[in-house]
Amino acid sequence: MSRISNWLRDGVGFDILLVGAALLFLVALAGAPLVYNVLMSFQQVDMFTLGSLIRPFVGFDNYIAVVRQPEFWLVTRNTLVFVFGSMTGQFVLGFALALFFAQNFPGASTIRGLFLVSWVMPGLVVGAIWSWILAGDFGVLNVILKSLGIIQSNIFWKSDPNFSIWAVIIANIWLGLAFNMLLLSVGLAAIPRDLYEAAELDGANAFQRFWTITLPMMRSTIGAVLSLGLIGTLQQFDLFPALTEGGPANTSNVAGFWSWQLSFQLYDFAKGATVSVMMFLLVLFASVIYVRSTRHEVRG
Amino acid sequence: MQFTKHGLLAGLAFGALMAASPAYAQVTLKVWSIDGVDRPGIADTFSKEFDDANDDIVVEYRAIPFDEIVNETLRAFATGNAPDIVSFDNPDFALFSSRGAMLDITDRVANSEIIGKADYFEGPLNSVTWDGKLFGLPKYTDTIGIFYNKDMFEAAGLTEPPTTWDQVAEYAEKLTDPANNVYGVTFSARAGEEGTFQFLPIIQMSGGNADKVNTEGAARVLDIWKSLIDNGYASRDVLSLGQWDSTGVFNSGNAAMAISGPWEIDRMVEDAQFDWGVALLPTIEEGGERSSALGGFNWGIMANTQHPDEAFRLLEFFVDQEDRIFPEFGNLPARGDIELPITGEAKKDDALKVFQEMLQYAQPRGPHPEWQRISKAIYDAEQQALTGQMPAMDALNQAQATIDTIFNQ
Repeated sequence: MSRISNWLRDGVGFDILLVGAALLFLVALAGAPLVYNVLMSFQQVDMFTLGSLIRPFVGFDNYIAVVRQPEFWLVTRNTLVFVFGSMTGQFVLGFALALFFAQNFPGASTIRGLFLVSWVMPGLVVGAIWSWILAGDFGVLNVILKSLGIIQSNIFWKSDPNFSIWAVIIANIWLGLAFNMLLLSVGLAAIPRDLYEAAELDGANAFQRFWTITLPMMRSTIGAVLSLGLIGTLQQFDLFPALTEGGPANTSNVAGFWSWQLSFQLYDFAKGATVSVMMFLLVLFASVIYVRSTRHEVRG
Repeated sequence: MQFTKHGLLAGLAFGALMAASPAYAQVTLKVWSIDGVDRPGIADTFSKEFDDANDDIVVEYRAIPFDEIVNETLRAFATGNAPDIVSFDNPDFALFSSRGAMLDITDRVANSEIIGKADYFEGPLNSVTWDGKLFGLPKYTDTIGIFYNKDMFEAAGLTEPPTTWDQVAEYAEKLTDPANNVYGVTFSARAGEEGTFQFLPIIQMSGGNADKVNTEGAARVLDIWKSLIDNGYASRDVLSLGQWDSTGVFNSGNAAMAISGPWEIDRMVEDAQFDWGVALLPTIEEGGERSSALGGFNWGIMANTQHPDEAFRLLEFFVDQEDRIFPEFGNLPARGDIELPITGEAKKDDALKVFQEMLQYAQPRGPHPEWQRISKAIYDAEQQALTGQMPAMDALNQAQATIDTIFNQ
């Protein structure tokens, strides 16, 4: 008896106990729903069998049906445009801001802190605000662009199929900018100053210092920021109902919103689950990159 | 041991006492609806009144936002916690009634002294009927017509509201005034139920319906609507504006005509700084087939209720109070036997007369258990045509292909 309690208190048992508790949570809160979701994508599901586990098995029928939907390729294309557009915008602008605020000037850290306001705001609120900014007839953005002479007539950001996905991307970049900037700022702060001093003595110019010191030293941070960005962007939901509802004619619909639409607007739960499994594979890919980049960090 | 025995006996005696005193037994009824979320409505007000007036029945009312009520009820039904009485938007009703989730009240209604099936308009009644049986009752109804700004019409030399869609286009051209930010017409072609709500009547006018959407007439009207947008006679934002926001444009004097319904009247009386009127929804040809959208909610008792008799009593109470729903909440009863009182507000009274006439032509969406999927096919096609991604007929053909798979399952 005492041996077991000893083993539990300060032996390997204690470690296993701690890991086990965390694992139990993970399995119960993330693992089980995930398995349930995958299971559902291979079943025939309707509203009245929602509560049961045993349902008719249909193999890959749901997958085939999803791919055959007329909007499937449009949604796929939009998802890629949305993910890469948002990530590029968030990362490039976030990096630029992080570099800018890494300079020593009065108020740098205060202003950087203020940027967090955008990150704190709920997506639905951000969506509502951008919905007004991007409005076609009376939107602020159109007024600004017109008075600057960039456009002649109003752009209907939310209703023009050529712009609708970009309307959501613009709002999403604004929403994710602060998060990117913050993580990258932390990475920048971790680079030892003497490296730059040494490089300067050797005659390296600003671009060379950035290319040969900043970027390589930030490798793991950048990897983490990009994969978190990918996950966050694929997860983005609030902006869609607030801005375009995936319209017009699915031109701004992405996988995440589509999956929700299938499940909770069209009550086609199996197809909704199928789309989310497809997304899950993509996120899994990002997670692997993320884990690898952070592992490097621990070792380094 | 002794103690337990005594306790057991006491418990038994107590239980027997409880069972022997039915006078104190109370039945609890759960009622769910969207009323009372932002302002008092039919269900919350009447539930409370019934609760106060009846000692033997407790009514637990819960207000659920519009977007969540179907999902919430689905979940509750799947886990056995469904309410006794629930109120759905009429196209959502068949999802439940077709799957045996609603109580068949055909016989109860036939035997009721308060409810007369014959009093109801046909369209609303169809939406609660499935397989020839009655699974609920219409709660209130609404429809759409065309509002027009009489001052702007006069300034443009027009006297009468348009009666065909060709005329809408012709008038919209005359009424559009970009210098003053005035569009000729506004409507809602949003990616959602509101889009279908305004477009399905056109399909029905052309001889089609939810199961047959690729008609010549519907394609023609889509082309007219597209030309309105392309020429700037209607804002391109009709593709993302809901009906409430779209009509807001009309109220502020930035559109000369608006397709919308009677729920706008009270706000329009207050906001609109001009003379306005309502006309029947235009037809495709002069004197052609009429149709209009059928909106409004339904009542239903859920099949797994423990207290069907008490629930029906509550339903009878709701129906009994229906002469109050217009004066108190501005909702139109779905029955022909209730005379709407004169409000004294001339524009409002005139508008109501038009909408009551329009209601005779209103046709339900469905009923079909997979209405939401049909609806998405319809509004997707509408948007594809209006944005020029596809010619109108091709878009409608594609919608028809999707709809065929739903009907031939």
